[in-house]
Amino acid sequence: MATEDARYRDSSQYRLWSFSPTQLSALRDKTNAAARARISERLLSHPLPASTTAAATSKQDLSAPTSHANTPDPDGNSTPALPEFLTPAEELTLVGYYTSEILRASEALHYADEIKATAAMFLKRFYITNSIMTYPPAEMFFVALFFACKVDTGHVNLAEYTKIFNKSAEEILAGEFLLCQGLRFAFDVKHPYRALRGAMMELASLEDMKRDLKRLDEAEAKARRVLQFSPLMTDAYFHYTPSQIMLAALSLADRGLAERLIQETFHFVPMEGNEGDGGGGDGKGNEEKARVIGSQIRDKVLGAIEGCRDMLSRELPERKEHWLNKQVIKTQITPLRKKLLKCKDPERWNLVELQKVRREQAAKKMDSDDEDDFGGRDGKKAKKEEDGDIFGGDLGHSAKKRKVSVKKEEDPFGGAMVKKEDLFGVKVKKEEDSSFGGFGGAL
Amino acid sequence: MPPPRPPTSAPRPGGVTAAPSTTSDGLPTRDADDMCPVCKTIRYLNRDMEFLVNPECYHSMCTACVNRLFDDGPKQCPYAGCRRTLRRKGFRAPFFGDLSVEREVDIRRRVSQVFNQVEDDFQTLRDYNNYLQMVEDLTFDLVHGDEATRHKAESQLSAWEAEHRTEIERNRRAGREQDEQSRKRLAAEAAAARQRRLDAIREAEEEKLEKIKIKEMEIDSLERGQPLPDSQRVQLKRRGNKAVEAVANLAANSSAAAAAMATADTVGKLSIRGLKEKKREPRPEGPYDPFGGLDLTPSRYKIHGGLSHPNVDKYRSDKGHVTGGYSFDEYTSRAMFEAFAGLGVFIEDEKEVGVGLVASEVVGMGAALAAVGGDGVKMELD
Repeated sequence: MATEDARYRDSSQYRLWSFSPTQLSALRDKTNAAARARISERLLSHPLPASTTAAATSKQDLSAPTSHANTPDPDGNSTPALPEFLTPAEELTLVGYYTSEILRASEALHYADEIKATAAMFLKRFYITNSIMTYPPAEMFFVALFFACKVDTGHVNLAEYTKIFNKSAEEILAGEFLLCQGLRFAFDVKHPYRALRGAMMELASLEDMKRDLKRLDEAEAKARRVLQFSPLMTDAYFHYTPSQIMLAALSLADRGLAERLIQETFHFVPMEGNEGDGGGGDGKGNEEKARVIGSQIRDKVLGAIEGCRDMLSRELPERKEHWLNKQVIKTQITPLRKKLLKCKDPERWNLVELQKVRREQAAKKMDSDDEDDFGGRDGKKAKKEEDGDIFGGDLGHSAKKRKVSVKKEEDPFGGAMVKKEDLFGVKVKKEEDSSFGGFGGAL
Repeated sequence: MPPPRPPTSAPRPGGVTAAPSTTSDGLPTRDADDMCPVCKTIRYLNRDMEFLVNPECYHSMCTACVNRLFDDGPKQCPYAGCRRTLRRKGFRAPFFGDLSVEREVDIRRRVSQVFNQVEDDFQTLRDYNNYLQMVEDLTFDLVHGDEATRHKAESQLSAWEAEHRTEIERNRRAGREQDEQSRKRLAAEAAAARQRRLDAIREAEEEKLEKIKIKEMEIDSLERGQPLPDSQRVQLKRRGNKAVEAVANLAANSSAAAAAMATADTVGKLSIRGLKEKKREPRPEGPYDPFGGLDLTPSRYKIHGGLSHPNVDKYRSDKGHVTGGYSFDEYTSRAMFEAFAGLGVFIEDEKEVGVGLVASEVVGMGAALAAVGGDGVKMELD
């Protein structure tokens, strides 16, 4: 087995985020079905429309979610009928639309190719195991782009970023951990851009190609344009490896070059055994070589590249206009977005509220845990302060903390709503400050 | 000139003293050497005067007195105040001039005969040291203690002796055997050394004879008018001809041994017996492999100097890149790796059935995928 392939098989992209087409569609169907079941259950259990204040609804809902899940509300059957849900295909179309939006936005901001592609792949990966009906794509879009900047070492200041998109920092940060969970914490996306450069180097080192460098340059530029768009809009990243995608794009740009490179790579002919080191004599080495660079695997690779090429040609860079075409958006996308707004998940749609609720839950859980503890309140207080002190707590901070802990003390007896809001405000701010432990506790 | 020193304890010139001066032990001092304290005979009158002591009380007296007093049988010590009964048999010539030393040596000998354990009898070194300390304390009491402590120590010693008679006997025998052995070994070594010396002498003798012979031959040949061949002449001048020969033999042997490995051990090598077998030299390990045997050599491409790209070349002379020590080979090798990594990975096949893979690998991967995938979906839809 080729060492390069073995190393690729170790990557998280191969282990976690590579699927056969049937697996991928099955996964999307499953996600869609699960989201339908969840959302209809929640809609039925809610007497109020989903658009009311999340604090009130979520509190009611979260107080007894399990009992509702097991026994459907008898009144629920009489409430207005469930909205029409998106089909998996419709979901896919919408994800495609938002992916094109990400590419457009990052292009406008002149981000590097890797950041663009990573952001797009983050969004696509996230919406494989999460339905677009559960979490709002228009919000996750910003989160994915922001997080991709972090991952691909193109860090953007949060304040600047929010200024560009006219968003609040809270909105961006609220979805960040959610995104990480959805990505299964596999942040490394392997792109074909550097691979294209490698292929060009290899081709340029061939004797007869040295005279034709202009052709190479043109082919590289064209292939790069393909790579910047086509594999991201299709599912190529899930079905093919970066090198295969790169060769497919190269063959779209200049078929002869791609074939030449493959011929040069898989050159081994077992009869002659002329190539390579002197140990061509023993049969085992030959066999191994034939398996790695023989003609059989060459045909297979050619087949895979042909498949990838077909897939890429469905979304050639020329299709960029398609996603911007007003007519197309009006006829295809807008109806879907309207439909989506009707069938969205009432609990999950507002990411900021969702995060607050989750934090409240976590805090409550911590409270009840502490009640059982031997140390009681003192122990908790000590622990809190310790957490904050990881980055050196300042005086204002500790004052806030004291306030919080005092208020929490009143909590078991049912604090007033207003006070609770206040508590959230203080608490969220505090946890953002000491951006550690907060996530762990909340989720 | 240094100031005159106080008189040292050097033996005084043989003067006549009225009474024998005694030490605090009640033993006679050294200057009693010159006059018998019993019959007051002085050495001046009797050149061959010899003093004897009895280990009962270590009071010295001259041979004449001993013979005179104790020939008839046991009698009291003639010293004033000493009530011990002495026998003729008990008298001997003291080994040390200082009788207190003589006495101490005797006591120590006796104690060591009773307390004759060796280090091997103890479990730890600390135990052995404690034992030695105890013995020394007892000895000190016996030698320097006053009457009461001496008596007490004496009774302790005899009690111990009575109690551990068999053990003491056994140890003594073991010690004797060991002595015997070491004596034998020493004797053997001495014999071997003597033999070697004799051999060396004989060899030297032979060499001398040969030299003479060759010299005669040379003279003969000169007489006849035909000088000796050079090789022989040179040999004459050398000393230790035999030794040279032996070394030459040895070298020849060892070179032969290199050719024939089987006989190497028996021929032409010194052999020393009885040495502990040395641990074999550990095989030198290769250089440390940080990847634990992971093979990183590419199988589909070769990294060579010709790999470059116009977009990279322009940075090769860029100070911002070069000064920091950036290696362009790194860029090249990574780009090449990414261009060919996973080229033979067919995701559709491998994720479904695993065609072109080892079966066990596929099962493992599939199971892992299923497990992870299942959990992942559940996790997301909490």
